[in-house]
Amino acid sequence: MDPTLTVLLYSSLAAGVAAFGALPFLFQQRLPTVRIGWANALAAGMMLGAAYALLVAGMRDGAVLREGAGAVLGILFVYLTHAALQTEDLDLNRLEQTGPEYGYQVTLVNALHSAAEGVAIGAAMLVSLPFGIFMALAIAVHNIPEATVLSAILTARGVRVRDAGGLAVATKVSQVLLAIVTFAVGGAAPTVLPWVLGFSVGALIYLVMAELLPESYRQAGSTTIALVTIVAMGMVVLLEHAGA
Amino acid sequence: MHPVLLVFLYGLATALATGLGAIPFLFVRTVSSTVVAYSNAIAAGLMLGASFGLVAQGSAYGALPTLAGSALGVLFILITQRVLGEHDIAFGKARGAGARQMLLMITVMTVHSFSEGVAVGVSLGGGATLALVITAAIAVHNIPEGLAISAVMRPRGTSVLGCAGWSIFSSLPQPIMAVPAFLLVETLRPALPYGIGFAAGAMVFMVLVELLPEAFGRARRAPVALMVSFTLIGMVLLQRYL
Repeated sequence: MDPTLTVLLYSSLAAGVAAFGALPFLFQQRLPTVRIGWANALAAGMMLGAAYALLVAGMRDGAVLREGAGAVLGILFVYLTHAALQTEDLDLNRLEQTGPEYGYQVTLVNALHSAAEGVAIGAAMLVSLPFGIFMALAIAVHNIPEATVLSAILTARGVRVRDAGGLAVATKVSQVLLAIVTFAVGGAAPTVLPWVLGFSVGALIYLVMAELLPESYRQAGSTTIALVTIVAMGMVVLLEHAGA
Repeated sequence: MHPVLLVFLYGLATALATGLGAIPFLFVRTVSSTVVAYSNAIAAGLMLGASFGLVAQGSAYGALPTLAGSALGVLFILITQRVLGEHDIAFGKARGAGARQMLLMITVMTVHSFSEGVAVGVSLGGGATLALVITAAIAVHNIPEGLAISAVMRPRGTSVLGCAGWSIFSSLPQPIMAVPAFLLVETLRPALPYGIGFAAGAMVFMVLVELLPEAFGRARRAPVALMVSFTLIGMVLLQRYL
């Protein structure tokens, strides 16, 4: 199979499985806040594990300084998009008293979040296809709890479960797009590899710190969140080393 | 000089370097809630970056032992937290949560120095030609550890000198462990990934369970996230270059 098709296939799979995140709402109207905290922490831990895997992959390359500069760009990119959208202090998990503006902001933040993860998939595919497939699968699994959180917000606003699942997948379309663009650009200009690897490391870490962990601590308490996060992170690290 | 004495002195020099981490706090005069949050964020970034480096290093010896060691590290923090939580402890001027955090921090960093000491001894055992380079590298790498300890202790009322003292104390296992590791390289090498994993697990869990929740509770999330991310990347680069 053509490598670009592989990227398309696996990143689409990652986006598609986000629909599963809406499933719990077929059985219950509301998810307990603690469960939403769990979902956030699961996603956060897997992203930290993915950041570690990308970091180690970059170090094997030896272009550490360019990777570091890329990481700074990744951090600044997410920070500045939040600043431009004025969503830096936005509570991303509000289930009550939300206006139309809020739904728009949350979906937009989710779409940008997925875009950064798309760069991570593309960068990993550039390192090697098996590593890229591993990264796409890790991001795919992590998309499910993220979609659960988004669906909790959407269904609380009266969106039907089917549409919530559809919207969750729609916010992940940017993942497919950025994965393919990153892979294509990196294939044409191999010197960008350490930059995009670094970019995705910086962006993933910043997203965890700015979007996922702050909410989750309020929802489920620090010990629970710390345990869920570190176990999810350990699983990704272990699987990465088992594959490598 | 006898090689064992030399290893001990090298280890001691790296321990003393940890005290330098307290220096930036000579310039921090006021201690507000925001200062606590930002100090936590910096300590968190340093410890996460150090742990990333440790896991990569440990996995070179064996990924499973490293992960098993990490699980023990997490368990160790959970138990220490419980034990400290049951008593109304006082530490310096602080009582309750502040005292618990300082004691946890000193415990984590001291325990983590054991595996570092073993790493020093093992690497010096590989041949004395690189000894000075390795020692200098570890000494520089210890400074941010002292910074992390001081970042937790200074905002909770410890003097700068006290911060430097406890930083050095936390690294004393390095010279102590370096000597047996140097003499028993072959015997201790298999234990190294467990020790490295233990240190990484304990540090990451300490960050997730104590430092980050408090930082997010006291300051806006964007500056906290920026500081954690930038210090993490900086720490990774520092480790990579030394």
